[in-house]
Amino acid sequence: MEVSFAITGKGYVILAADQNAARSIIKMKADEDKIKALGSHLLMAYSGEPGDTVQFAEYVERNLRLQQMRNNHPLRPQAAASWVRRSIADSLRSRSPYAVNILLGGYDMANKQAKLYWMDYLGTQVDVPFAAHGYGSYFALSLLDREVQKRLVISFPSFKVKVVDEGGVREVELDMTV
Amino acid sequence: MATGDGGAYSYSLTVFSPSGKLVQIEHALARVSQGTTSLGIKATNGIVIATEKKASSILMDMSMIEKVCMICPNIGIVYSGMGPDYRVLVSKARKSAQAYWKIYGEYPPTRVLVQELATVMQQATQSGGVRPYGVSLLVAGWDPNRGATLYQVDPSGSFWAWKASAIGKNMINAKTFLEKRYNDDISLEDAIHTALLTLKEGFEGQMTEKTIELGIITVPSKEELRELGGEAGLSVPNAGTGRPKPTFRKLTEEEVRDYLAM
Amino acid sequence: MSIMEYNGGSVVAMAGKDCVAIASDLRLGNQALTIATNFEKVFPVTERIMLGMAGLATDVLTLRDRFRFRVNMYTIKEEREIEPETFAHLVSSTLYERRFGPYFIEPVIAGLGKGTNKPFIASTDVIGCINFAKDFVVAGTATDKLFGVAESLWEPDLEPEDLFETISQTLMNAVDRDAFSGWGAVVHIITPEKVITRHLKARMD
Repeated sequence: MEVSFAITGKGYVILAADQNAARSIIKMKADEDKIKALGSHLLMAYSGEPGDTVQFAEYVERNLRLQQMRNNHPLRPQAAASWVRRSIADSLRSRSPYAVNILLGGYDMANKQAKLYWMDYLGTQVDVPFAAHGYGSYFALSLLDREVQKRLVISFPSFKVKVVDEGGVREVELDMTV
Repeated sequence: MATGDGGAYSYSLTVFSPSGKLVQIEHALARVSQGTTSLGIKATNGIVIATEKKASSILMDMSMIEKVCMICPNIGIVYSGMGPDYRVLVSKARKSAQAYWKIYGEYPPTRVLVQELATVMQQATQSGGVRPYGVSLLVAGWDPNRGATLYQVDPSGSFWAWKASAIGKNMINAKTFLEKRYNDDISLEDAIHTALLTLKEGFEGQMTEKTIELGIITVPSKEELRELGGEAGLSVPNAGTGRPKPTFRKLTEEEVRDYLAM
Repeated sequence: MSIMEYNGGSVVAMAGKDCVAIASDLRLGNQALTIATNFEKVFPVTERIMLGMAGLATDVLTLRDRFRFRVNMYTIKEEREIEPETFAHLVSSTLYERRFGPYFIEPVIAGLGKGTNKPFIASTDVIGCINFAKDFVVAGTATDKLFGVAESLWEPDLEPEDLFETISQTLMNAVDRDAFSGWGAVVHIITPEKVITRHLKARMD
């Protein structure tokens, strides 16, 4: 029961993810951050099998950091997405695959374009204008198809919302009372 | 300190000498030039490769010795140097050709097979615990892309394409002879005769069908090409046998005898 | 649930007169939920060969990369472009390598031979058994519908523009009857001179 959303606009990507950490019927935590900044202009929202998620997200984070240090240059969103996809696809056919779904949003400083990639635990990757994972996707995708972006019909109490644009990554407060 | 002219550098490991030589490779080449002469000539409509077969005793059954070998239906090779090393290379080359067939459904172009062989030979100059191969090879083949081509591969792993070349004991004389006799519009029949004449120059003893081996590449005609599956060539099998028609074949003893008689 | 129908999608290729056509739909789904409507399933291999793949999307992407790698290595080693027949064998042997744990895709190959411009189309199953065809080949969740429509629309020796019309109508009418395929299409016509690519709007529902 997790959900994450992302929408691209002119020169930015905005990602939102719920903040619950639950085991079965028990809610353990209500302030979990499930969106990692992988660089100055790259965000990754992750969900899936508890344990795998943080492990995989940190693996990606450290590897992309390593690449940035080695080459003195960060990967562009498209290249980062390719690398993450390949990691998931390789893991899928390994002895213990990661079950992690990902939304990767970034701002490409080279061509001044915002990019969003939808990826699932199988290593399926697609470049989309808006995306969602979890049960929320059944609502959100159809709503976004109609370009109704006024409300998100799901009853999570709070969302972590982060934006990436030319100025880089920042967090925004979402007013849940609207 | 090892004995002989190579000094400390003549041990099995291939190491540069201070003058920049790889003495082990030079030894291998020396072994090649002690070997029986082999040669190859490229003609307008094919290639001939030839070698002499020497018996160390009259008691030997020479019909069981094979020096010209088919690697795959479009490639044949011959050698000068060490027989046992050659046999290893032949089986590696055949295996490589079959592996290529398993992936692409057709036999390798000559160049690709030559490259593969050259890689095997090069690796023997850089790996621990092995010595370089004591052979030079002449590789004749046909493929739809480059047509008929003749290559020489040396123990160092370097290779060249030739119009005509000779390796082994009499290579210097044979090459001089070939340079005089060769022209660009020589036919396969003439090339076979030139090959025999060249061998004759340095031949000790009697040239017979028992002491000569010949292999030929025949360039397929337009009609045969169509039969082979159009311009693409060897990929589509023959309707009858399900196998591509060979462009390389060894001449039989009868054929060799006839050429010698002419 | 079949893994071959998890993401949905269909591919078709047809032979014409000195030309071939290959087309795919654009849907990417998670079973009944549509995730994206811009997922192309046909990729260029050389200037005159294209490869379409239907099946599990992650394997479509993985194999696209794998084939690009293998064809690049072939081109460098052989100093020439790969021929359609040879590429079909490469596809076959690449898939058969995973005989007991296959990639879940059915590839469709379309190309023109060197010099002769001979049209070539072929498809294989998930473990690489090749199906050479003279007329058309299909793959994906709309396979049965594609066969039906193609069987009645295709005719021999179609010129590029007529072939484009035939393959477009075949694909669109087939995917309209398939819930897992659709949401527009992309069609490539390979002629000796060039590749013509057109994006089609279809029933977007």
